[in-house]
Amino acid sequence: MSATVTRAIPADAAECARVLADAARDRRTVRIRGSGTKSYIGDIAPTDIEIGTSRLAGVIDHEPADLTVTVGAGMRVADVAAVLARAGQFLPLDPPHADEATIGGVIAANSNGVWRARYGAVRDLLIGTRIALADGTVARAGGRVVKNVAGYDLDKVLVGSFGTLGVIVEATFKVLPVPAASDGLVARFVRSADAFAAADAVIRGASRVEACVVERSEGPAWRLAVQARGSAPTVKRAVDDARREVAARQGKSNELGDELGQMRELPARAIDGALVRASLPLAASPAFAETAARLESLAALVADAASGVVRVHLLGDDEAVIRDAEALLLAARVVGGSGRIERRAEQLRSRLSTWPTRPNGDFLMRRIKDSFDPAGILEPGRSAFA
Amino acid sequence: MRGLVALLGREKVLGAREDLLLYEYDGAVDTATPDAVVLPESTADVAALARFCHEHRVPIVPRGAGTGLSGGAIPVEGGVVVSFARMARILEIDVPNLRAVVQPGLINLHLSTAVAPHGLYFVPDPSSQKACTLGGNVAENSGGPHTLAYGVTTNHVTGIEIVLSDGTVLRLGGKAVEDEGYDLVGAFVGSEGTLGLVTEITVKLTPLPEDKRTVMAAFPTMDEASETVSAIIAAGIVPSAIEMMDQLATQAVEASVHAGYPLDAGGILLLEVDGPRDGLDDARARIEKICRDHLASEVRVASGALERERLWAGRKGAFAAMGRLSPDYYVQDGVIPRTRLPDILRLVKDAGVRHRLRVANVFHAGDGNLHPLILFDSRLGPDELERAKAAGLEILTACVEAGGSITGEHGVGMEKNCYMPLQFQPSDLAAMRRLKDAFDPDGLMNPGKIFPTPSRCREFAFASTAR
Ligand SMILES: Cc1cc2nc3c(=O)[nH]c(=O)nc-3n(C[C@H](O)[C@H](O)[C@H](O)COP(=O)(O)OP(=O)(O)OC[C@H]3O[C@@H](n4cnc5c(N)ncnc54)[C@H](O)[C@@H]3O)c2cc1C
Repeated sequence: MSATVTRAIPADAAECARVLADAARDRRTVRIRGSGTKSYIGDIAPTDIEIGTSRLAGVIDHEPADLTVTVGAGMRVADVAAVLARAGQFLPLDPPHADEATIGGVIAANSNGVWRARYGAVRDLLIGTRIALADGTVARAGGRVVKNVAGYDLDKVLVGSFGTLGVIVEATFKVLPVPAASDGLVARFVRSADAFAAADAVIRGASRVEACVVERSEGPAWRLAVQARGSAPTVKRAVDDARREVAARQGKSNELGDELGQMRELPARAIDGALVRASLPLAASPAFAETAARLESLAALVADAASGVVRVHLLGDDEAVIRDAEALLLAARVVGGSGRIERRAEQLRSRLSTWPTRPNGDFLMRRIKDSFDPAGILEPGRSAFA
Repeated sequence: MRGLVALLGREKVLGAREDLLLYEYDGAVDTATPDAVVLPESTADVAALARFCHEHRVPIVPRGAGTGLSGGAIPVEGGVVVSFARMARILEIDVPNLRAVVQPGLINLHLSTAVAPHGLYFVPDPSSQKACTLGGNVAENSGGPHTLAYGVTTNHVTGIEIVLSDGTVLRLGGKAVEDEGYDLVGAFVGSEGTLGLVTEITVKLTPLPEDKRTVMAAFPTMDEASETVSAIIAAGIVPSAIEMMDQLATQAVEASVHAGYPLDAGGILLLEVDGPRDGLDDARARIEKICRDHLASEVRVASGALERERLWAGRKGAFAAMGRLSPDYYVQDGVIPRTRLPDILRLVKDAGVRHRLRVANVFHAGDGNLHPLILFDSRLGPDELERAKAAGLEILTACVEAGGSITGEHGVGMEKNCYMPLQFQPSDLAAMRRLKDAFDPDGLMNPGKIFPTPSRCREFAFASTAR
């Protein structure tokens, strides 16, 4: 590995593919950088080359009446949102690092916020991509129409691939019209069981809320934040129902402020200690949260009640953080879920690997990786199956 | 054959000529006879069979109910057809986790019926849902009228157990929404039986909507109906279903189902909104107004469950009703951006005229997924099917040129594998091939599907028109 990093900022897909092909020929390792907001994920080490996607930006196609948008992967999600807003539409994705995150990074890191309750995750909204590959070619997966089963759904493999298969240069998403009304509530509970029971009642109720998240940060109280968007009568109904579920469980409702934004941004704040991210069967979240609440190093917990994705921020003595993080990953596996150390302080890197256990199907993942990147140059240290 | 019987027992293997004939066709137009048919009763049976086929280098062709519309279950290169008819149980209904675990041979509608007492349902509702299987749905990534708002099969599957062509049994995903590493569940859904055999499926269950409003609107021509679709979407309304039907289709349906569609309409829309009761009438009223603004001659709101059922029975029975018009039909499944509906529908009509065949249209208008039913009569000679296919190819070419796809839900199968280069460049297909080689390096799973094969595709040498 050379001491100096070569930076490349390709202007288009073909140039990007050429950079990759040269790197593969010379066996030089490559890191791909959007805004760099998620560079903490993975067991990463310095690479020979860094490819920036900032010039692969801009709206490529947006026909409002088709409810789709095609953009360059280096475009920031916030900038896509601004363009769509002018047409009365929005991209139903609210990933953390909301101001900086790029489209490519959000796809590669499978980065989701709290809206997946209603609209689904990156995998549900992405309908097409173009990728620059290590053999110097550019391939297209999916398409630009909302329904398409021609050939394999390679987009799914790219979501969460962390750049290990190629550089995403362009992406097409489904978008939606901005709803007419919006409202929500935030409630406090003494007992976690009550907070989760209220959340569960909300997601099983008649209304389809946009977000339904349970949180615990400072102090012993648990908070539930619920947001609904839609036509005025459906929003009123959703919030009324949620308020009733809260009251039935001795919770106290208040008007919703920016709590959901704060909850979503936990990964951005969790600079010290360790951040564990678990994906659990829905009904396992309450017990998992109880387990987390008893840990010495618990600093904050954010549980998306609609998806079963729970993040736990651990802070304090290194030994305690490591012990608690390992306990949580084990707890996730025991209930049939999975997890990773999404973020950890620099001094914990060598002791807490992002993916301490291999996922099922790791040998297939390795074969896929080897066929897309036979020289093994792309994003070393960011494969869950390595 | 003898080896299979020794391995699995006589009652799980079919080899007699008359038995094999039942497995040479599906819902589409191509046929081929299998060398043997196996009816496994467990994952262990499937794994043993795969090991056997791997050892003897015999192709494996999975089969659900055989309702597929792209020849996916047809053993075009011979081999063993694996029917999942005896693996059709619901293994678990997990209400707290909003999941069900099922075997692949389970019939789609049986799942929703079984979970309805819990106030839940399985969203994907192909019009064939009384017959098609969950395994087939997973393989085709099937859609249906109500997948417009709530997503297709891939959005509702979180875990699978699969058997690879070498007999390896693998569990991927589970009840959680995602796992670490590449999304292999997502890669497998829609792979048309070419990556492996799915032996168990974990699906999401969704709370049933509190209520629905169903609207049937009749228009003078398909143009007004198409423009209404765009106008509704532009107004920010997202119905759970928007289906369209032309006059020829309506006439066939009325002759067989008596759904109550007006026979003099040039185009009909069937629309549904569902969700919390509050707001439904508001949405319905807005839809009604938009329909009338676009010259609807009649707008009828279903007065209750019975009338709603009747309106839907017409739509869901539409393919079967084609028998009233013609002994055979060839259905295409191209997708276009919604805004292109009016001009592509005109082009569909012209293609029919050019090839001297009638074309009926019954389709998922909300997501731009066409289903032109090209009517032909095979008794008049092989030329009829040839002309139907030629008309179909013209339509698909137009769909791709409009920025769309050759298939929205029926799959590529053996019917459209030669057309893949219309939509994809060699580098796109090469990327897909990498996935195939990872799962099935020996190429034994459902060969002759999805990818163009030199032997059968020689006559189709088109350059990609892909954008
Ligand atoms: C009247 C009619 C209406 C239809 N309406 C719709 C509709 O609205 N939406 C829609 O999407 N489709 C529709 N279809 C098409 C068809 O019903 C679907 O594609 C369905 O999912 C096929 O299921 P099947 O069990 O019949 O599968 P089959 O036809 O038996 O097989 C289909 C494919 O799945 C593979 N397969 C089957 N089981 C397995 C398994 N266990 N493991 C791996 N691969 C497997 C086969 O190899 C084949 O490639 C319709 C068909 C008809 C006849």
